[in-house]
Amino acid sequence: MYKSLQGKQTRVLERIADSLIQLNEKVDVLIELQKHTRGGIANESLTDVLDVMTLLSLPDHLRKTAVTLCNLGQATAEEIAEQTKRARAVESGYLNQLVLMGYLKKERKGRKAYFYVEKEDAGVK
Amino acid sequence: MMGKIIAFHSYKGGTGKTLLSINLAATYAKNGNDVCLLDLDFRAPSLQARFKTKGNGYWLNDYLNGVCEIKNALIDLSHLHSGTGKFLVGLANPSTEAIREMSAKDRKWEMKALGRLLALRNSLLNDMHLNYLILDTSPGLQYSSINAIVAADVALVVTSLDTSDIIGTQRMVHELYDLFEKKTMIVVNKVLSDMLSSPAGNNNFSDYFHNTYDLPVLDSITCSCDVLRVGGTCVFTEEKQEHPFTNSLKRIAGKIEKL
Repeated sequence: MYKSLQGKQTRVLERIADSLIQLNEKVDVLIELQKHTRGGIANESLTDVLDVMTLLSLPDHLRKTAVTLCNLGQATAEEIAEQTKRARAVESGYLNQLVLMGYLKKERKGRKAYFYVEKEDAGVK
Repeated sequence: MMGKIIAFHSYKGGTGKTLLSINLAATYAKNGNDVCLLDLDFRAPSLQARFKTKGNGYWLNDYLNGVCEIKNALIDLSHLHSGTGKFLVGLANPSTEAIREMSAKDRKWEMKALGRLLALRNSLLNDMHLNYLILDTSPGLQYSSINAIVAADVALVVTSLDTSDIIGTQRMVHELYDLFEKKTMIVVNKVLSDMLSSPAGNNNFSDYFHNTYDLPVLDSITCSCDVLRVGGTCVFTEEKQEHPFTNSLKRIAGKIEKL
C-alpha cells in the first residue's frame, strides 16, 4: 500500500518535472523571439536566414546545435546529439527553438522529425 | 587518412596569408599529397595573378553561385612542383565587376555559400580523395572568411608584430574562433631574425604570443629579403628548397599532419 502510494507520488513528480522542462523550453523560445522581433512576437510564422553572422549572435548552446546541423545538412535530434554529446531531448528542444526563431525548417517522415537549414545546397548530403 | 581543411586567416591584410597558403599547399604536394588551394579573397583576388593563368572559364564565384560544380572551377597546376601530388587551384574572379557583385551579396546568398563550402568536404576530400584543402581568405570579419573558418578543421591565424594587428587578433580570437570552438593556431610572420637568434629567445618569443592569444603558436617565421625579392613570381619553397622560409613551411606542414 505504502509502496504503491510512493510509486504514484514519484510518477506525479516526474510528470511535473517533465512539464517544467517543457515550460522552460517554451520560455526560452519566447525570450529569444522577443530579442529577435524587437518588441513583440510576430503573428505570422517567422523565417530568417541562418548566415554566419547570425550564428555568431546566437547563444552558445543554440550555436553549437545550429553549426552541427549546418555541417550535417539534414538531421534528426538524435543525430545532432551524437555529434554534440548532449542528450537527445536537449537537442530536440534547441532544434525546435531554432525552428520557432525561423532559422531552421522541420519535416516529419513517419515517426522521425528531420531538421534542415535549406533544402538545396545545405551542407554535406 | 581522412583529408583536412585548413583556413588561413588574419585580422589585418598583408600578414602573408596568400604567401603561406601557396607555399604550404606546394609543400604538401611535393611530399606526395593531393592538394587543393582555393582563393576565397573575393575582395582582392590574388591567385590568378600569382599563377599567371587565365583560368578555365569558371571561377570559384561560379561554384558559390551554384552555376557549376567544384571540379569545373579547378585548374591543375601540378607542374609547378617537383613532387608527385596533385596541385589543384580554384581562382576568385579578379574582374572589378565580379568583385563588386560579390561584395553586394545578401545574407541568404551567404548562407547558401556556407552550405556549398561545407559540401566541399564531401566532394573534394571524400569523393576526390584529396589530402588537404587549403583556404586563403580575406582579412578581418568578412562573410567569406567566416564561412571558410566554419568549414575548416584548422584555422591558422597569421599575425605580424604590428600592435594594431596583435590587439585586433586578440579580439578576433575571443569573438570568432572561440565561439565556433574551432581548432585555432597562431603563425607569427615577418619576425626579425635577431628575435629568434637563440633557442632561449625563440622560446620567450613563442611564450609571449602563446600568452597573448591563449593559443598554441604553430611557428614563427623570420622576415626574409629573399622572399620579398622574388615578389610572388614563383613558388618559393620549390625554388629555394633549403631556405629557412622553406624549412618553416616544412615544420608547419609536419605539425598539421600530426593534429
